[in-house]
Amino acid sequence: MIVAKNLTLSYDNKKNIIENANFHIKDKEFIFVNGSSGSGKSTLLKSFYGELAIRSGNLFVNKIDLTKKNNAKLLELRQNIGIVFQDYKLIQDYTIEDNIMLPLEIHNIPEHVAKEQVKKLLKHVKLSHKINAYPAELSGGEQQRVAVARALAHNPSVIFADEPTGNLDEYSSNVIWELLKKANELLGITIVVVTHSIPSNFGIKYRRFNIDERVVYEAS
Amino acid sequence: MKLLKSFVSFTFPLVVMLVVFSIYLIINKVVDNYKQNITDDYAIVVIANTPLDEIDEIADIKVKSIEPIDRDKIIKNVQDNLSNTSIDLLKRKLPYFYKIYLDEFPTTTKLQQIRKELKTISNIRKIETFTNNHNKIYSLFLLVQDMVFVLFSVVLLFSILLLSKQIKIWFFEQNDRITIIQLHGGSLLYSSKPILKVIISSAIFSSIFVSLLLYFVMINISAIVQPEIVVFIPKVFSLDMEIVQILSLAFVIPLITFFGLLIQYKTK
Repeated sequence: MIVAKNLTLSYDNKKNIIENANFHIKDKEFIFVNGSSGSGKSTLLKSFYGELAIRSGNLFVNKIDLTKKNNAKLLELRQNIGIVFQDYKLIQDYTIEDNIMLPLEIHNIPEHVAKEQVKKLLKHVKLSHKINAYPAELSGGEQQRVAVARALAHNPSVIFADEPTGNLDEYSSNVIWELLKKANELLGITIVVVTHSIPSNFGIKYRRFNIDERVVYEAS
Repeated sequence: MKLLKSFVSFTFPLVVMLVVFSIYLIINKVVDNYKQNITDDYAIVVIANTPLDEIDEIADIKVKSIEPIDRDKIIKNVQDNLSNTSIDLLKRKLPYFYKIYLDEFPTTTKLQQIRKELKTISNIRKIETFTNNHNKIYSLFLLVQDMVFVLFSVVLLFSILLLSKQIKIWFFEQNDRITIIQLHGGSLLYSSKPILKVIISSAIFSSIFVSLLLYFVMINISAIVQPEIVVFIPKVFSLDMEIVQILSLAFVIPLITFFGLLIQYKTK
């Protein structure tokens, strides 16, 4: 699923953020990437979906070599993953339905099939009544549920989540964790979550990577 | 309101550009029509000692036809004052007169070249080109045509600048949306589809508006222009080709500008 070999990351080839990282994330795993603020958690995650160029080493996601710059391969990768951001990244002038339909539209799924899928997802995230609302009309927790629904819409093989509960209250955070756990357990989707605090009594098996002083290591 | 404002900001320079282009097309049509009329009327008269051989081309201009001027008619005009012996003598001595019709109206330079080439034919005695009057109006038309072309070029340049500025604003406004769509695997072209939609609808609106305006102007042309000018306007004025040209320009310029900026955005 995700293989890193001597992976080094930096912005503009200046100071290294991650150095010589080596790890292997298998299919259907639930992974936490943990570390203090500014340790490079989000940077590492960005490299997984090709938002950050690799300085040296190798990184394979879904067997796609991200070391090589290939726009078509990058689009292919992004079409088969789901991403959840701390700031939700919903399109403000799209309705909730349109936002969730976005990955399905990119996949050229017929509109009536896509609309059915959106209805099912909204039911799962308990927001069926907000189908025609705009993101600005929703609370932070609701917007993040929409973002999770969007990430799940096209049945991705992996979901990358960057501090998905960072801006949320405890109740909303729990809802998001439950959704991600269900996606992993029931749908077999690999989940990689960057967070500075792992919820206690998480309830499912997971692996945890720590980042400290530019070094990525697996914590026991 | 904001959408309408940005639509107008894009459509206005496009309409201005198309209006100037339409004026250029009308002037072209008038000049072509005038050129055709004077070409049809215009002939070079040559006087030759012996019958003239076939000439296909002079100064790279195709010769449409060479028509001999009836010698008997010339004699008839003057025979009343002449005796029979003089008429016989005149018949024997009278040179051959020809009218040479050309495929296109020659410019002054071409005319000098034609004179030079005709002079090399040994049996031609005299050449008359009668172009002074025709040339003055024709030159004036060419001047107007050139001026409108320069005006159109300037307007085109400014329009492209305004169009590209508006497209840049749209790219800036849509930056978040474009980023989100690209993060979900949408191509840059796919993510900028809303911009492309506005550009296409603006091109459709502008081309229809300007085509209707052109049609309206042409059916009311006699009321719009000075009566002296009306004579130069073709009686049957087909606008098919002009409308196709307006339509092409309305789409080609904004789309080229859009794709140019798309490439620029991509490289950034």
